[in-house]
Formats: sequence, C-alpha cells, structure tokens
Amino acid sequence: MHALPLLVSLYILRPAGPLPTVLQFGPDTLVGTVHALDLRQGAFSVTTGVGMALRVVQLRITADTRAAEGGAALQLSALNPGDVVRVTGGTRPEGRVAYTIERVAPAPGRAP
Amino acid sequence: MTPPAVRALAALWLGLVSAAACRRAPEPGDPVAGLSREERERFDRGRAAFDSVFTPETGLGPLFNADACGECHESPVAGGSGDEIEVHATAFHAAEALCDPLADKGGPVFQRRATEALRAATGIDNEPVPPGAQRALRSSPDVLGFGLLDAVPDSTILMLADRDDRNGDGVSGRPNRFLDGRVGRFGRKAFLPALREFNAGAFVIEQGITNPAVLTEELPGGVPLPPGTDPLPEPEIAAEMAELTDFFVRFLAPPAQARRSREARHGGDLFALIGCATCHVPVLRTGHDAPAQLRDRNIAAFTDFLLHDMGPELADACLGLASPSEFRTEPLMGTRLMTQFLHDGRAKTLEEAIELHGGEAAGARDRFRGLAPPERAALIEFLKSL
Repeated sequence: MHALPLLVSLYILRPAGPLPTVLQFGPDTLVGTVHALDLRQGAFSVTTGVGMALRVVQLRITADTRAAEGGAALQLSALNPGDVVRVTGGTRPEGRVAYTIERVAPAPGRAP
Repeated sequence: MTPPAVRALAALWLGLVSAAACRRAPEPGDPVAGLSREERERFDRGRAAFDSVFTPETGLGPLFNADACGECHESPVAGGSGDEIEVHATAFHAAEALCDPLADKGGPVFQRRATEALRAATGIDNEPVPPGAQRALRSSPDVLGFGLLDAVPDSTILMLADRDDRNGDGVSGRPNRFLDGRVGRFGRKAFLPALREFNAGAFVIEQGITNPAVLTEELPGGVPLPPGTDPLPEPEIAAEMAELTDFFVRFLAPPAQARRSREARHGGDLFALIGCATCHVPVLRTGHDAPAQLRDRNIAAFTDFLLHDMGPELADACLGLASPSEFRTEPLMGTRLMTQFLHDGRAKTLEEAIELHGGEAAGARDRFRGLAPPERAALIEFLKSL
C-alpha cells in the first residue's frame, strides 16, 4: 500500500475520541446524573459510567462549591436527583470535592 | 495463444472475478466492504480478541455472565446472537418519572455467575437483585452492522422523534438519553449513545474484565469485593485488546437480505401499509463523519432508535428516560438469522412477536390481525428476508 492511502485510512479509522473513564476524576470534569444530594452532610453523588458499567461517584460539597445553570447562579438546594450535571472538582485529603456544578438539563419529571 | 493475448484474457478473467467478488453479498461475520489488507488483518485479529476466553487467572469476574464475547454472540458466527438470557434490574419512581439504575447496588446488570474465589468468600454464585427492584430479562442480540448503526447521526434520531404525536398517527416516539444527556441508541432501551462505550462497558458487565475505559469491577450488591477475589491489577486488558474488539464489531457487515419471492415483496408492501414502518423505519442514512467504509451509506436497519410505549404486558425495568413500558424499536436487520424474538426472547416465532406488540404498536398489530391468512404469511415471509 502506498503511504498516502495508508495515512488516509489510518486517519479515517482513528478512534472516535478518548473514552470517558469512570475512575478518572482529578482536576477535571465529570458529567452525569445527580444521584443524591445532602447539603447538611455536604454529601453529593453523581451517577456516571461507560456503556452499561455504571458507577456512583461520591463528592463533598463545601462552602466554596458553586452551582449554575445557563450561565446564571443556582442555589445548590435547587439541584435534584436526575438532573444532568457537569461537575468540576478535585481530590483533597478528605476526598473528592466538587468546585462547580453546572446543571445541563433538569430531571425528566421537572423538565419544562 | 500469444503472450499478449494470454495477458489480455487473464486481465479480463481477473476483472470478471473481481466484479463478481464485488457483487457478492457479505456472509454473516464478513466485514463491510472497503477494508484495506491491513485493516482486514486488524479485523481478523479483532475477531480473535472477541473470541478470547478468559479465566479468573486472566481477569474473568469476580462477577460475570460469560467468559468470552463470543460465548453470547455466537450464532451463526462470531458477532451473531446467542441463547443466553441475562438479568437487569432498576427502580422506577413513577411520581417523579425518575429511573434509578441501582448503580450503587450493583445494577443495572446483575451477573448470573461468580468465580470460585468469590463463591468461596461470599457464598453467592450470582449477584443478588435488591428487594423491590424491577427485574428484566434480556436476550443476547447479534452485533452485525452495529458500526453502521453507530454512524447514523443523532440529528436523524431527533428528526424522527414525535413525542407528542403531532402527526396524529397514534404513534409517538422519543429519544432516550444517557446519564450525561447524550442521545442514546444501543440496548433495548436505547440508553447507550456510542458503540465504543457499549463495547468497553460490556467487557466489564459481561465478563468482569476491566479495561482502560472502565477501571473498576462490578461489585456484588455494590459491596466491596472481599480480599483475594480480584487478584489481577486493573486494567485487566490493555487498550489494544479493547480497540481490536471494537474494530471487529464496528466493521462487521450487516446481514445481507435474502432474495425475495413475489410473496415476500407483497409482504413488504403490507409491512408499510399497516403501519409497521412507522417505527421500523426501513432505511436510515449514515453520516459523513463516520469512517470511510461506513459513511454516507443507506442502511436497512428497520428502526428509528426511539422509545415507544409497548403496553403493560411487556413492561419490565426502566432505564434512563425510558419508563418500564417503553422500548426502543428493535432493528429488524438480520431478522432472518434470529431464532427468538423481542427483548427477552420470549417470542419463538415472528407471529408471536407481533401478537405481543401493545401500546403504541397495538394499531399495527390489530391491522396485522385483520389481514387475510395469505397476507399475514406474506408479511412474515418479508420479515424472514431481512
């Protein structure tokens, strides 16, 4: 095979993009569905996954955690199980902490 | 004969053979047309990866349904369907229309087998379903042509949606969405958005094989694994094996349709006339962003990838936005190779499968019932040609 077609075919058959991983959660983003929220305990969990391998990721909410929707600030208490959220966060000695929580879509029963 | 004449005849023969080869319909298990020699070799290595049999020593389990992809996707060839039935379970909260996939309790797939080490440590030989969960049985579909299904743009699915039945045909249809909001298409509830993730997740939920995309094992009931039951470090397979398997599945050709008799052609007309084609959309077109061998192609998928309410008789577990009674329109591509039908294999004949259609499909089912016996037979002949 000539080099050009080979390069073209390799380009065409490149992977569609990096797969999301369930475990990776450094100073990056996690997108999933709110599983539970307990503001009193500062506990927040998101269901995410790859294919049918679903996992619940536990995070801490601190006084610095901010929520938003469509660019506007959102009360953390306005978040509900089933909301689709994009969470930025990082790992601290006490565990994973959410820095920002953006509601991407409301839970199905609460959709307008 | 002179050498130039021999060369000319040889060239002609080669051309005819090549043309015949180009026209030859793919056999089940063949790749789509257009793979280079290197890609064909990769496809064959992917088939070997697909058929690799795992043991606890090579990563199998601790919970699993099968020891190889090819254990369940085997008939008539690797990538085909299987007679294995697996267990899913979720919890539906009707008041909020909210589905809990029970991810923190080991769901939504509850494995039917456990390694000897896990059995010895816990006493279980399968993963228990939590009390109160709604169980669902799922048969093993073939994955032939899945790369083409993956290549249909989301915009096509969204365009077909008619969630409020605005066209008044009695059939609505809405897309499911994955946990992160992407449009779903794979699985009986159309929950999974992409083939790569479908494949990577399947390694873990079906075989207990962690891989670079899923680095954690399935946990029995969500409870951590006892020490010593998962001896291999994660991931248990490298990216190359997962990618080979994905390559194989992605480029498996869809089953070629059988040659149709006049009766079957008439059945195809009836299929459209009584409304089956409203949901089982005969042809979808793949997008331009797909790999060259899969892009801009018409695919006789006979699905709209949408969720439809199939009535209370079939209702089982929810998933994503899908309520217990909502199911994705099952692609009919490859029906001629199937030996059991519907999401759980409960129907042993196509007639039985049609009879079990309810909800939004009740109208089409009733029109099928209203056909004269020869017409019903013709429609079944058409389905057997797909």
